[in-house]
Formats: sequence, structure tokens, C-alpha cells
Amino acid sequence: MSAPIGAIPVNRYSRAVWRRNALVWRRLIGPSLATNVLDPLIFLFAFGYGLGAVIDQVGGLNYLSFVVPGMMGYAAMFAASFESTVSTYARFHMQRTWDAILATPVTLTELMLGEMSWAATKGLFSCCCVILVGSVWGGIGNPWGVVLALPVLALGAVCFASCGLVVTAHAKSWDIFAYFFTFWVTPMFMFSGTFFEVARFPWFIQVIAWILPMTHLIAVVRPLTAGLALDPLAALGHVSYLAALAVAAFCFARLKFGARLFG
Amino acid sequence: MEGNIAAATPVIAVEALEKRYGEVEAVRGVSFSIWPGTCVGLLGPNGAGKTTIMRMIMALAQPTSGYVRLFGKAPSALGRAMRERVGLVPQEDNLDPDLSVRQNLEVYGRYFGRPAGELAERVPLLLEFMQLIERANAQVMQLSGGMKRRLIIARALIANPELIILDEPTTGLDPQARVLIWRRLVDLKREGKTLLLTTHYMDEAQRLCDRIIIIDGGKVLDEGSPQELIDRHARAYVVEIPKPLPPGFVEDGLERNDIGDAVLYYTNDPSEVTRRLPPHATYTTRGANLEDVFLRLTGHSLRQGA
Repeated sequence: MSAPIGAIPVNRYSRAVWRRNALVWRRLIGPSLATNVLDPLIFLFAFGYGLGAVIDQVGGLNYLSFVVPGMMGYAAMFAASFESTVSTYARFHMQRTWDAILATPVTLTELMLGEMSWAATKGLFSCCCVILVGSVWGGIGNPWGVVLALPVLALGAVCFASCGLVVTAHAKSWDIFAYFFTFWVTPMFMFSGTFFEVARFPWFIQVIAWILPMTHLIAVVRPLTAGLALDPLAALGHVSYLAALAVAAFCFARLKFGARLFG
Repeated sequence: MEGNIAAATPVIAVEALEKRYGEVEAVRGVSFSIWPGTCVGLLGPNGAGKTTIMRMIMALAQPTSGYVRLFGKAPSALGRAMRERVGLVPQEDNLDPDLSVRQNLEVYGRYFGRPAGELAERVPLLLEFMQLIERANAQVMQLSGGMKRRLIIARALIANPELIILDEPTTGLDPQARVLIWRRLVDLKREGKTLLLTTHYMDEAQRLCDRIIIIDGGKVLDEGSPQELIDRHARAYVVEIPKPLPPGFVEDGLERNDIGDAVLYYTNDPSEVTRRLPPHATYTTRGANLEDVFLRLTGHSLRQGA
């Protein structure tokens, strides 16, 4: 196994952390694959019959083509967020795995890069399961667009993973993660254009929606997979937003972890 | 200093080291040096500041004042190079519970940037050395306390470090498990490794350490070889007389220490004490040990520390 995401400066030390998580996960690959494929199948089935029958067209697309790219983003977001919060907190705080690693040549930044890239990898894995389901079930209008969308989805996963680390860096108990899911994950599920058009919401919800990284991710991914026109300048703006947020969140988390661990 | 010319630079030098956590002064001006190839023990009760000192040596905590030199340089300046030369055995069990015994060592070796080929050779050797080879594929959860400790020590040795720092390596283990670990630590010393260990077991310190630094309340009380410390602070023998003391017993001129249910008398000649006792009085005589040194220095026993 090599570096998961070439764009990130991943050296052998952060890769060692990534590989540790991959090694543990390898035992769970069967159940993980099953749930990650079944999850979107259930969604598509329910939404397809529940809403697809009522809704003819959304934003110029049939509902399936509208909802599948939304689910790609959502899968990447949920898996990366969960891994970088609940699972990382377990390694950081409960199992003391981080303490053991920080006594080795691995630096805190490398450790965090390893954790973050692993969380992003899991996000991308979940996302690929949706693509798999979508290509069989339908909902992907433009297969080449999916190839173009994948790097953007990877960047999105990196962004979600970095944001998750900020919460983990502040976590003193499990309680904070309930707030994280209520005020961060759920709004991105509901308001970011995953299942409904952003433009349908009242203006103040739209303002919030465009603060959330998911909205920017979907705004790029949906036109690509559906084969719609995508304004390059707007796409650049969305991608820049994701990248900037990822870097800012990672640096912020690094500061907080540093103060907590070495204070 | 052990008279070795090559040992011109101490492996660890600590100077006027202080650490405050808010109002709590965990370490209050500690200085000492550790020379290559020696085994040095930090001896003190729980809460004496031993773990905090070790964390500062490893640059896992920042000193409030004073400094640490590791291999002659500030640990933070040495960065990764320093970590490559040190193996840490922490007090708490932080083995990776998601991995097997063998995987714990392999994965840890990768944190040191070691290539797979080297690890494939080294891991079985370490498992053999710490007598864990039969449990190589067991999950960490299935190991006994003694085996976990041995695995943590094996893990610290993965990159063949020059300096091994052990924080209470045998606390909570049964006698057989402790003896096995002691034997391995003596082997490491013979290989020329430098060892720094904390303990609150005086038998452990006496058995393993060339030098002992006695710490209490965040301060160094004294340091020296076990025998030097005993000569300096105790006498060759201890006569222990249970309370109440026999009637008519005169203790004038004797060095005494009241330990609650008995009084200890320090002497080079036990008959100096015993001849003052009435016939049939109960007493015990034994050689002095580090516990007596600690008692003399602090007025309280090692084991009942904070």
C-alpha cells in the first residue's frame, strides 16, 4: 500500500500511521464493503420510490441523476467525519495509541497527516461504493465526469477529515461528538444540496449552506456526473474554498493538539 | 563518572529543571547527568516527579525553567534524530489493542522508518529475547500483565536504541515476571546500553542500578551508588525494636527513626544496641538497604508516598 493521496505531502512516517489504520481495517473489509454498498442501495430504493415517483425533475435533472452525486458527497463526508472524530478520538484518548506513536520519530504533524489521510481514504472508499451502486442502478449520466469528480471528492474528503480533527482536538469526552453530528453533519446532509436544491431554502439557510464545505463539493460534483455545463471559474472558487478550509482546519487542529499534548 | 574516556558527553544532562502545572510544582530544580553505558535509577514515591522528568527528557513536556541535554543537545533541536536513538517504556500500557503481538512490533518499527526486511529479521529476535515467541500471533488483550510489560520493552528495543528509558518497568507484576525483566535489563546493560529507570522498589534499584538518584517532592535528595548512599545515610546494620520499647531501654547516643509501630536504630555494630536490651526482648537485625536511606532522607517510607 502506498500514499493514499498524492497531493498531500505524505512521507514514510505519516504513511506508517496510515498503514497502521489500514492494517486494522483489513480484518473488517468484508462487513465494511457490505455496509458501504448496502447503505446507498437502501437510500436509493427509499428515495427512488418515495420521492422519485412524486418528483419528476429537480434542477433540470431526473431525481436519480440529482440524488446520486449528492450521495457520493454525503458518503465521503460521513465516513471521513466519523473516522476523524469518533475513531481518532479512541486512538488519541482512550487507547493511548497516540502517546505510543509520539514517543517514536513520528512527529505530531505527521501523525495527524496519517490520521487525516486515512479518514479521507475511508471517505473516498464509501464514495466509490456509491459510484459502484450508481453505475448499476443508474443516476450517473456521464461516466467520464465521475473520473473528473473523483479528485474533487478526494479533496472534499480531506476537508471533512481536517474539520473532524478540529473537533477531536477539543474533545474532552464523547459528548462533543453529539454536537458535531447535530450542528455539522446533519446540516450538510439536509441543506447542502444533497437531496434538495439549495435555492429552495430561505435566504438565511442558504447563507449557512454556502459556509458548509459540502455545498461547494456538490456544486462541482453534480454537473460533472450528470454531464451538465460547469462554469470553470465557479468550479475553481468551490475547489479553492474546500482547499483553504482543509488547510485552515488542519493547522488549527495542529495548534490545539500541540498545546494539549505538550503543554 | 565511570572513568571512560569515550564517555566525555553525558547521554542525559539535566540542569535546574523545573515544571509547574498551574499551582502544582511537579519538579523543583532537578540536576543530574547520566553517562553512557550506565544504569541510573530515579527512586521515589508516586508523585515525586519521576514521570514528569522523563517526559521532559523526551521533549513530551516543556520545562517551565532549566534545561535538558540529550546526547549533548536540546531534545527539541535534535528532533527526529533524538527519537531514533531512544526507546521509551511508559508506565501505562499503551500497546496497540487492535493489533497482534507481532504486529505491535512491526507497526512500531515502521514508526521508526525501518524497512520491512530489517523488521522481518528483528521482530522474531525481540520476541525470542523477551520470551514471547509462542504468543506472537496472540491479540494484546489476551496477554497477562507480565507479558504486556515484556512486549512494551521489546517494542522500545525495535530500533536498537542507545538509551532506554523505563518508567516503572515492573510495577504490579508478580515476582517471577519481575525477575525475568530484570535479567533482560542486565543483558541490555552488558550490551552497553544506557538505561534510565524509575522505580519505587528499592530491591529493583539496588539490583540493577549503578547509580541512584533519590527524588521526593520534585527535588533530588541525594545521589550515588547504592552502597555509597547506604554508607552515607544509614549504617551497616539496622536493629528494629517493636513498640512499646522494653522498660529500662536507654537509647542515648543511638541514631533512631520512629516508623510508627517500631523504632529503627542504625549502627555499625548491632551489639551496641542489643546489649542495652533486657533478656528475652524482641528485636530483629538486618543489613541496611535503600529503604533505610530513603527513610532517613525523607522521614517517610517509599511505598506510602503521595
